[in-house]
Amino acid sequence: MKLSPLSTLAVLLALALTLASGLLQTADQWSARAKSDNLFGMLFGDGRKLFANQFFTMADVYFHSGYYPSIFDQGAAEEKEIISASHGKKENEADEKNEDFLGRPKDWIDAFGRNFRITQHTHLENHNEREILPWLRLAADLDPQKIETYTVGAFFLREHLNRADQAEAFLREGLRNNPDSCEILFELGRIYHESYHDQNRARNVWQLGVKKFIARPGAEQKDTRLVFEELAVNLAHLETDAGNYAAAIDWFKAAQKVSPTAYALQIQIDVLQKKLAAGPPLSPPKLP
Amino acid sequence: MSKIFALAGVVIKELYRRKDFYVLFVLTALLTLAAGMVNFFHDDKIVRYVKDICLLLIWVSALVIAVVTTARQIPAEREARTIFPLLAKPVSRAQVIAGKFLGCWLATGVALVVFYFFFAAVTGSKEQIWPWGAYLEAVWMHWAMLAIVIAMVLLGSIYFAAPSSTSTITLIVVAGILLLGTHLKIIALQQPEPMQTILTIGYFAMPHLEWYDLRDFVVYDMGLVPLRAVGLATLYAAAWTGIFLLLAWLGFRRKNLTT
Amino acid sequence: MSVILKTQKLRVEYRSRDLRQGTKVALNGLDLEVRAGEVFGFLGPNGAGKTTTMNVLLGFVPPTSGEASLFGIDVRQPIARQRIGYLPEQTYYYKFLTAEELLRFYARIFGIARAEADRRIVSLLKLVDLEHAATRPIKSYSKGMQQRVGLAQSLINNPDLLILDEPTSGLDPLGRMKVREIIQRLKDEGKTVFFSSHELGEVETICDRVAIVHEGELKAVGTVAAVSSGHDNLEKAFLQIVGIPTRPAS
Repeated sequence: MKLSPLSTLAVLLALALTLASGLLQTADQWSARAKSDNLFGMLFGDGRKLFANQFFTMADVYFHSGYYPSIFDQGAAEEKEIISASHGKKENEADEKNEDFLGRPKDWIDAFGRNFRITQHTHLENHNEREILPWLRLAADLDPQKIETYTVGAFFLREHLNRADQAEAFLREGLRNNPDSCEILFELGRIYHESYHDQNRARNVWQLGVKKFIARPGAEQKDTRLVFEELAVNLAHLETDAGNYAAAIDWFKAAQKVSPTAYALQIQIDVLQKKLAAGPPLSPPKLP
Repeated sequence: MSKIFALAGVVIKELYRRKDFYVLFVLTALLTLAAGMVNFFHDDKIVRYVKDICLLLIWVSALVIAVVTTARQIPAEREARTIFPLLAKPVSRAQVIAGKFLGCWLATGVALVVFYFFFAAVTGSKEQIWPWGAYLEAVWMHWAMLAIVIAMVLLGSIYFAAPSSTSTITLIVVAGILLLGTHLKIIALQQPEPMQTILTIGYFAMPHLEWYDLRDFVVYDMGLVPLRAVGLATLYAAAWTGIFLLLAWLGFRRKNLTT
Repeated sequence: MSVILKTQKLRVEYRSRDLRQGTKVALNGLDLEVRAGEVFGFLGPNGAGKTTTMNVLLGFVPPTSGEASLFGIDVRQPIARQRIGYLPEQTYYYKFLTAEELLRFYARIFGIARAEADRRIVSLLKLVDLEHAATRPIKSYSKGMQQRVGLAQSLINNPDLLILDEPTSGLDPLGRMKVREIIQRLKDEGKTVFFSSHELGEVETICDRVAIVHEGELKAVGTVAAVSSGHDNLEKAFLQIVGIPTRPAS
């Protein structure tokens, strides 16, 4: 029996629909990518993180107005560092030299080619820092789990562009994607403390940050102890400004446990202990 | 010279009667406008990323136009056999090579000017400044680089019968030079022998097309490149263009066109 | 009469695609002379070497040995082609150009001044009956129209020597008549015409002299009467010369 083209089409469509319904449950287990609520996640899968890293680097490149080492320059600089270290040179000397990654021209081609490259180490300023924002936005969209994107973005929005509200919104977005992030909570606290001057909210957020830190597994705590130090020290300063010297001392002591500069914190503790010992400041007598 | 210009005129007419240029221009324009319309953190003064994207699209489009147009010049003439009534006229094969080069280079130059005007219009509407000096330098250097590329493609088209082969090989070579040219010496120093020697020879022997990429200067508002450097780079481009064209002529002049 | 087209011991070898054969000899010591003002027919079966000879004269193919000259100038010099017009068998023209643009382009190649080129273009388009289609791209032309464009471009420089490769191939009777008229007109103006053809009837009518080549060698040359003496017509003489037996005249 010969089918007409339309009938053939109808049969094929019916077959396709039947197969699709039948395979739906099986196909559901095949790939998580199609179920992703993120467009980039759906398009690129885990490869989006590579793009996110690249865009984050682009933000840094933009911040330095194009003066940035390539992966080849970085490789060569690392080698120099290793060699310097093996010769007993201090790390900070190598770091400073690494900043000028170009070094002396290797030959006439390199020397002439520098006329067409950015060779000055500069930073964006005077509100031109806004130029790095698109790359941070893209990096955040591509990899919402990259904490650095939110903290760096919020820092520039708040500190350099005077847009505390947008910095807060960006951090809150980061917090929704990373609810256990102490780093984001720390930056959020800074906004409340430095921009909004809302010390209570800053305290609450920083204390939450500390709780999140304590809840981390031991190995992760070891790797991220800097953020705990920052939280504790800032809480200590907050309590100092509020006159709660005892609480401040406790926070400084907590910070000392993880800080590489415990002696500097000890000085602060000593000052506070003297203040505590001296009692509350005398208020001037009321005149009749 | 008028013969060379006559040949160039035919090449230009062909380019503007094909759709390649218009498709690429519209694509570049649409992508740039789309990028420019996106609002990041409610700041409409952000412009550098638009410049970056637009200039990247311009570079890709101009390169595709230059390579694809040039790659098919000689092979298409041979395949369509239009080379025969042409060479039956008092025109030498050297003039044919020169005319094809000039036509492709001028056509690409016009395309570049249109692209960069669009770029200036889009970015100028955002930042309200037009650094014409920097734009002129960028266009000139870009055009000089394309002269080298076009001459390279012409040379390739003499030896590779299929335009697609010439286009693919040239695009790979050009992309390789643009991405790695500056760093080839560093890469060489990190390799064992004999690779180190091979790469070092390659580094000195290849045309350094990456010098002509002034996008960073335009995107980051870094001002002008010294005119002396631009002049020397122009001479360097002229020298490499001459070398490739000479090699192309040497390959073409004794070629049996009937096979 | 001066000799304007000359070949001396012209030899052309190609590398054969058949590996067992090595090289293929397309022309083997061809000696040919065409004098000013004559209509010269160049005849031969397929593969005889006619096209190769033309390719050498036009500079498309370098000779392996021997010499070829036009107006006393070695054919390898582009200037040798300043006074010639060439009509190829197939229409090979830029499809994206109009007839007018094509003629103007070739006029520039010949170094013809703009005003003179304009005048010639108008008269040539009228001659080949393409005035109505002058501003349309050639890709929209029929085969016959493209042939006529070819004829026009071969005459743009008012050539002293016209080289025609199968000029009436693919033309309708009207087109063939047109070509014959043009050849006759050129002859009356004292121009020289050198053409290859398979239409021996036409060759007999219009040629002053003919040459017959076979397997790369010149087999006969002379006036039509001289070549076909002893035979009923040129066709029978041709067949006999190239070694194809014919039935004797009854």
